[in-house]
Amino acid sequence: MTTAVVERWVEAPLETFVRDSGVSIALLLHPSGQVMAQHGFARAVDVMTACALAAAIHASSGELGRTLDGRPFTQLHHAGAERGISLTEATTRAGRFLLLAVFDHATSLGIVRLYAEEFAGALALAAPAPPQHLEPALAVNFERDLNRNLAVLFGRA
Amino acid sequence: MTVSPFASALDCLTRVRGVTAALVADERDGILVDARLHVGQRGDRVAALAASLYRKARLSAGSAGLGQVGFLQLEAANGRVCVVGRGDLVVVAVASLDANVGMIRVELLRAAEALA
Repeated sequence: MTTAVVERWVEAPLETFVRDSGVSIALLLHPSGQVMAQHGFARAVDVMTACALAAAIHASSGELGRTLDGRPFTQLHHAGAERGISLTEATTRAGRFLLLAVFDHATSLGIVRLYAEEFAGALALAAPAPPQHLEPALAVNFERDLNRNLAVLFGRA
Repeated sequence: MTVSPFASALDCLTRVRGVTAALVADERDGILVDARLHVGQRGDRVAALAASLYRKARLSAGSAGLGQVGFLQLEAANGRVCVVGRGDLVVVAVASLDANVGMIRVELLRAAEALA
């Protein structure tokens, strides 16, 4: 299983995370749902779905955190019967990112959280300076960027 | 304020000379349940790694037909990690190299009995 990235600077941190944590699937995305990198997916449509759902979960849990605790939750875990997911926020100078990891009994939540934390630190160190003019995530740009990123990840660019 | 059911066992463990941290963690998830730590020690990291280590040792021992793991000790350059498991939980002691491993083992086994 290979790791595919849209921007090169996320590659090394993500590969290290996947190798050390033992997760079966990893997805790096913008909080808006734009994919940045993936490991373990075979189909673009699955990446697109996972990104949309992860972004929605993050937005919902963030609001819930603000309501309950006065600040958004930055880590979320859901335990399934066979597999679990972990959603971690990473803040860098290039913006905020979400790391969605899917893992099974080969590893544990504690290990995934530990390496997700290290991933967030490594990503912050690797992040380039933000562009001078950020394009707004308008619907028309969102669709275009999403399709471009998926094409890059699945070798159709 | 509720006292953790593991408080007494962890207190006994930390009274052993050379023990710098004592923890109870979930073996499968590697999540910290209760701990006695010094300032600056990261209990969540120790819990995750020690539980993972113990779980892999348990699975290895099982695969090799060696039966249950009684006591796990990892000796490193600057100290040692000792782990005993009962049910879904593990009790972990982090100690200096000059600590008495026999005493740590006794207290860990006592703590594990208290978990059962």
